[in-house]
Amino acid sequence: MASKSERKVILETRGVYKQFPKVLANQDVNIKLHEGEILCLLGENGAGKSTLMNILYGLYKPTAGEMYLNGRSVVFSSPKDAIRLGLGMVHQHFMLVETLTVTENIILGSEPGRGVQIDYREARKRVKELSETYGLKIDPDAMIENLSVGLQQRVEILKALYRDARILILDEPTAVLTPQEVEELFGVIKELRASGVSIIIITHKLEEVLDISDRVYILRRGKIEGERATADVNKEELANLMVGRSVVLTVHREPHEPHPEPVFEIENLHVLDDRAYPAVNGLTLSVRPGEVVGIAGVDGNGQSELADAIMGLRPVQSGRLLHLGSDIARMSTKERIGRSISYVPADRQRYGLVLSMTIAENIAMGYHDRSPNARGINLDYPAMARRAEELIGQFDIRAPGPLTPAGQLSGGNQQKVILAREFTRKPTFLLVSQPTRGLDVGAIEYIHSEVLAMRSQDVGVLMISLELEEIFALADRILVLYEGAIVKELDPDRTDEREVGFFMTGGKEKAS
Amino acid sequence: MIAAITVLTIVLAAAGTVLYLGSYFWGGFLILAAIALHLFKVFKRDGAEETMALVKKSYKMLWVPLAGIVIAIVTGGIIMVVTGYNPFKAYAALFYGGLVRNWHISVLNAAPLLFTGLSIAVAFKAGLFNIGAEGQYYMGAMAAAWLGLTLNLPSVISITLIFVIAGAFGAAWNFVPAILKVRTGAHEVITTMMLAHTARYLSPVFIRANGGDPSTSTHPYVTTEILESNWLPAFQSFLPEANYRLHTGILIAILAAIFVQYLIYQTRIGFEIRAVGQNRDAARAQGISIGRNIMRALLIAGFLAGLAGVNQVTGLDHKLFENLQAGYGWNGISVALLASNSPIGVIFTSLFWGMLDAGGQYMVRTTQTPNAIVEIVKGILLFLVVAKYIYVYLGDWIRKRRKRRLAAGVAAAEGAAS
Repeated sequence: MASKSERKVILETRGVYKQFPKVLANQDVNIKLHEGEILCLLGENGAGKSTLMNILYGLYKPTAGEMYLNGRSVVFSSPKDAIRLGLGMVHQHFMLVETLTVTENIILGSEPGRGVQIDYREARKRVKELSETYGLKIDPDAMIENLSVGLQQRVEILKALYRDARILILDEPTAVLTPQEVEELFGVIKELRASGVSIIIITHKLEEVLDISDRVYILRRGKIEGERATADVNKEELANLMVGRSVVLTVHREPHEPHPEPVFEIENLHVLDDRAYPAVNGLTLSVRPGEVVGIAGVDGNGQSELADAIMGLRPVQSGRLLHLGSDIARMSTKERIGRSISYVPADRQRYGLVLSMTIAENIAMGYHDRSPNARGINLDYPAMARRAEELIGQFDIRAPGPLTPAGQLSGGNQQKVILAREFTRKPTFLLVSQPTRGLDVGAIEYIHSEVLAMRSQDVGVLMISLELEEIFALADRILVLYEGAIVKELDPDRTDEREVGFFMTGGKEKAS
Repeated sequence: MIAAITVLTIVLAAAGTVLYLGSYFWGGFLILAAIALHLFKVFKRDGAEETMALVKKSYKMLWVPLAGIVIAIVTGGIIMVVTGYNPFKAYAALFYGGLVRNWHISVLNAAPLLFTGLSIAVAFKAGLFNIGAEGQYYMGAMAAAWLGLTLNLPSVISITLIFVIAGAFGAAWNFVPAILKVRTGAHEVITTMMLAHTARYLSPVFIRANGGDPSTSTHPYVTTEILESNWLPAFQSFLPEANYRLHTGILIAILAAIFVQYLIYQTRIGFEIRAVGQNRDAARAQGISIGRNIMRALLIAGFLAGLAGVNQVTGLDHKLFENLQAGYGWNGISVALLASNSPIGVIFTSLFWGMLDAGGQYMVRTTQTPNAIVEIVKGILLFLVVAKYIYVYLGDWIRKRRKRRLAAGVAAAEGAAS
């Protein structure tokens, strides 16, 4: 499209380098942002996307290189300079004061009025105007803590617009949103583009790039790997550019007939959360050997409490947990692990690994009281190291050796250590919670294929995931979790993300 | 061959240690020989590279405390110059007194510190701060005094019994903080410290009941002497030229350190304690009971601190004094910190701490330099070791600067090329 390249370049970087003590995060990055376009910056975790954005926003100083705004060279010494010159950024984690109203949050730091007095009426009026101009519907007097995540994000966007941002940087904006909220956000973004705001979206999700952007830069290992007009590119090409090799986007799922007799059943389970409010409310499900049951739901609908209850990390109020026919609801975690229940926790660094311990110790943990890890009261370190060495090979863990502390590994390799531990204990039932959170495409592919390998070995797999894509890629049955109960069971071959998203957000079936 | 070398190394090291502690300083050569032999064994078995790696590792472990010691001593010297004392004379007296002339006092000081230091180190491994080791020390001392007065059995049996039972009293004293921690989450720093004061103020009651009588001048604030069969053997019984007060408590303490090292790093129990200490959520998710391991760690810690009291009563004093103000429990914290909570490390730091005290007294007597200097040196030393992130920070800063220059060079070069 010739017209696009003739558009005015509003922001440009030339030869940006960023050197951190151990890594070169950005290397000779040259990007151009045109006025009124939606630009995606695609890359795996650790590719240097966030570093680059933080440089643009004045949070980091580049080691070398220059930035041009409207053709003039600029140097930002802090985000203040960036904001003053019309840049706005919406971080992945919102920076809002929960106990203040929408208006108060928006004006915070640049309050209108004279002296110490804040002109609230003026502020409220401007917020209202802005929200109407850009179609960002919001109640200016609502308390932030009462708003959904999607609305909080709107407040962040309004905050930037209030400061007259002409360039808006969004860092992984859809990570926390439901499918419906994503759609609404994309609507807002298009509205902004129409009114001349230029937008940069940082993401590692390919769909998102294709859905929303005009142009995309692919970043790999700190370097720009390519630039494409979105109209001329497909998913496979983007994935290959991003990872640097051919990847299978959806792992092939062989048809596999599960055994009829369930290996794990939950009957009418009730569990409380940390504040003693009910989090799981009468949940019932069953998992058969050789199938993957996917639990879809918006974060905070009882996922973590359910996982805790299954593993004995949180007391069960009432209900039964049946594993191979016997009720395990009162058993200790140790007993459950001992009876071939394996668990891949959602927060791998907090619940999965002791980061300061070695790979060998982490793999032995849980089974550290039995052969081959222990002889009597003594630990058998050489045997532990040999076992770890073997699994490092089998699971392709990139590590100097079995005695490397787990904390020195990348996220993907940490997850592989957990898989190596859990998947090789001959589980009959496997609980997997958000197995690929924060991992890059290559690691996701590997982990998905390992989960499916468990399935073909007739392990019953219960997978909790916030990523619908993951649920669709792996699950044989989809159970939708809403407010602590299963509200709907769907067949992945006969449903789509829209329908699942509808039930996830509390949608009711039409009475027909 | 390798096995024979190992046995010889252990024999040499053990003999050398006993001799050196008994002021037979040529025992040091045996220790050096044992170290050389060990290196030789590693070289024979694993090759030159592994040997170098071992040497490097030891060096890496040692340089932070050693650098701390040097800086603390230099700073102390500067303070002496400023305040008008001769640092060379003072330090000469300090080291001569602590390491040579009154070495036996250094060793006597070190034994209880080694026990309390181990106590604190074990608790630390579980992520707990056993700040009340002083209280468990008093419980152990009281139990030892009571048993020492009443048990009339052959020496070997009764001394063993005293160590086990009195140690158990120390552990029992920590049972309350442990159960409170497990059941209610009450912080062990508060509970152990409060019980430490309780134990200390129980001791006068105990002493009155066991011979102490403030109305007479012969037994004012001290119990009756324990039976001679319950005294720990003195070094003099096998090394005739050792000081008559020097007793074998230090050897038991060193054995305890070796045992704790084994327990923490080679057994299931130690593994669980470390896992709970480093990430209790992950440990719990793998079926390791947090409560049980908190209990274990605090009971072991109480037992060890109790042994410090046993050591003093059965080895050194043979009675229990009121208001000793020795503060072995509190100083155990310093000793453990200085050793970064390494059980083997505590052997050396407790001897060093004991040496500073013994040498300090000698320095005061012979050069009229105030003892405060020793306390200042200790304080600076602790500060430097506790704040060792300063070194890390400095190292990072230097590395960063080097890298930044490098990156700028690269960028400039590439810019010129294009």
